[in-house]
Amino acid sequence: MKDEFVLSKTNLPYWLRQLRKKADLIGPLRSLNGDIIFSSIVNIHEMILDCPASIPSPKEFLFPQKEEMYKFSQKGVNTLNDNGKRIIFGVRSCDISAIALLDRFYGGLLEDDFYMSRRRNTCFISIACNNPDPTCFCSGLGTGPALKTGFDLQFTDLGDRYLVQAGSREGLRMINGFMHLFLLPEKADRDDQYEVLLSSQSIFEKRITLENVRQKILAGKVPDSFWESVASRCFECGGCVYECPLCTCFNVIDWKEKDNKGTRMRLWDTCMFKGFTKMAGNVLPAGKKIMRTKRWYFHKLLYYPEQFGRFGCVGCGRCTITCPGRIDIATIANKLD
Amino acid sequence: MKNKNKKGLYLPVDAKINDVIDLTPDVKLYKLRKPQSFFYSPGQFVMASIWGAGEVPISITSTSEIHQDIELCIRKAGFVTSALHRLNPGDSIGIRGPLGNRFPFEDAYGKDVLFIAGGIGIAPLRSLINLVIEKRKNFGKIALIYGSKTPTEVLFMPETQNWKENGIDLTLTIDVECKEWECSFGLVTEHINRQSISFESGYAFICGPHVMINAAMHDLSLLGMPAENIITTIEAHMKCGVGKCGHCYSDGRYVCTDGPVFSYAEIREFGMASP
Repeated sequence: MKDEFVLSKTNLPYWLRQLRKKADLIGPLRSLNGDIIFSSIVNIHEMILDCPASIPSPKEFLFPQKEEMYKFSQKGVNTLNDNGKRIIFGVRSCDISAIALLDRFYGGLLEDDFYMSRRRNTCFISIACNNPDPTCFCSGLGTGPALKTGFDLQFTDLGDRYLVQAGSREGLRMINGFMHLFLLPEKADRDDQYEVLLSSQSIFEKRITLENVRQKILAGKVPDSFWESVASRCFECGGCVYECPLCTCFNVIDWKEKDNKGTRMRLWDTCMFKGFTKMAGNVLPAGKKIMRTKRWYFHKLLYYPEQFGRFGCVGCGRCTITCPGRIDIATIANKLD
Repeated sequence: MKNKNKKGLYLPVDAKINDVIDLTPDVKLYKLRKPQSFFYSPGQFVMASIWGAGEVPISITSTSEIHQDIELCIRKAGFVTSALHRLNPGDSIGIRGPLGNRFPFEDAYGKDVLFIAGGIGIAPLRSLINLVIEKRKNFGKIALIYGSKTPTEVLFMPETQNWKENGIDLTLTIDVECKEWECSFGLVTEHINRQSISFESGYAFICGPHVMINAAMHDLSLLGMPAENIITTIEAHMKCGVGKCGHCYSDGRYVCTDGPVFSYAEIREFGMASP
């Protein structure tokens, strides 16, 4: 395997500083209120690499919470594509898996130019999870704790050094100019990597098989009374949707300033809100709460597999952390399985 | 449906308004100059956009084989449609499209066809009715039941008489009896079983309020029409029209890209048009 390298931890800051000269370096930081957030890195030593899941997920760098699409005035319309180069360091395997699915959702025949222009200019360096959170369940979905594809570079923490795997040409390019910092892996490095991943597997507290849940729903073994009880615990806060790395819904609004100038922008929206489907004449196709909760779960558990062959869940556990009603995917799956 | 607009998926193109016709106090017909390489079929829609107000999905009511312009029939119902109603000939509307699928009218060749329209639901059906008249010899009997609330709300009144002359069995109906109305009374569903078409082999194309669509589809299937032959076009809240924003999503299908035209069989399977 020629695309594997070893990087000593002492060389990491220097290497990242060199990469930062050409692109905005983004990594996990601890915010003032204690959450982990992805943000531009000023001091490389402040990055927290062995951290719990970030809130929100790094999808916001490809599909921002608020994205300006067009500036309009009487003179005409300007498209505001974001072409800024970014390197996002320290992304979890689950989030990389989610981005691979987002690429298929926003790409394809009807390609979303705003997402894709960000995507083409963003490199992802992932870190295999040595210490999964108690809320994580990626191992049952094949979306973690380490990946085989989808990343540009994947790091595995081996104590005093990282095993670095390149998964794309962009990934190799980030290493190529700095070969003097990297070593080629030896047998001891591979042995350590194997051991680290093995022990990581045994740390998972949740064992969840979404396939069993899917089969049960398809077989009609989940009665509406069950979804009724789920819906009765929903606060309609939208937290699950905002934190989910695979939720893609948005609203489009025009922000008008003086003299017919303004901005058309899109904002994250959530299908848990009652007005989400409201039409002219106050018709609400999903007026009852049970319809909205069912819709969210069915989309992730039934229709994502139908459309993409993958679940609309990567087991990141963010909805478990966020949901005040404890009706997150892991809890529901445990109840149904 | 390929993304032909290389400039961007969400960027509308300007279409100049050639003419505006007041159909009723709150419904206007807009005739727009057709942009280059804009080819559409009955049942498709556009996202009509005004910078500073927003975008709304509007079905195309013209027929490309007959009309030079793109015609949009717009009722003043909310923020964007009110802004659209303030426009005059010479102004421009941004449009994106044509979007969505189309009526599968070739399936009905050689068969009887029943159109059922309620209120502004005549707009998307008009596109197909005019095409069916153009290809009259390909179809069996053709009937139209068109219901409105009051006589003043009937759209395309002169055109309906034209349709009648072209061999369409026309039933114009209004909900409540009143003196100055010479045609039928009652809801559209009360007139379905009086039609002389063959229900077992015929096709029905339905558009109107959700309640009317559901009732009409149900009645037709009770009269023996196969669920695959009962075709409707449904409206939904949309922000993008291209299967990304998620607003029109229902049970694994997007109204904008998988629809807006669905058969009764699909609607029952995917739980659409449920309110």
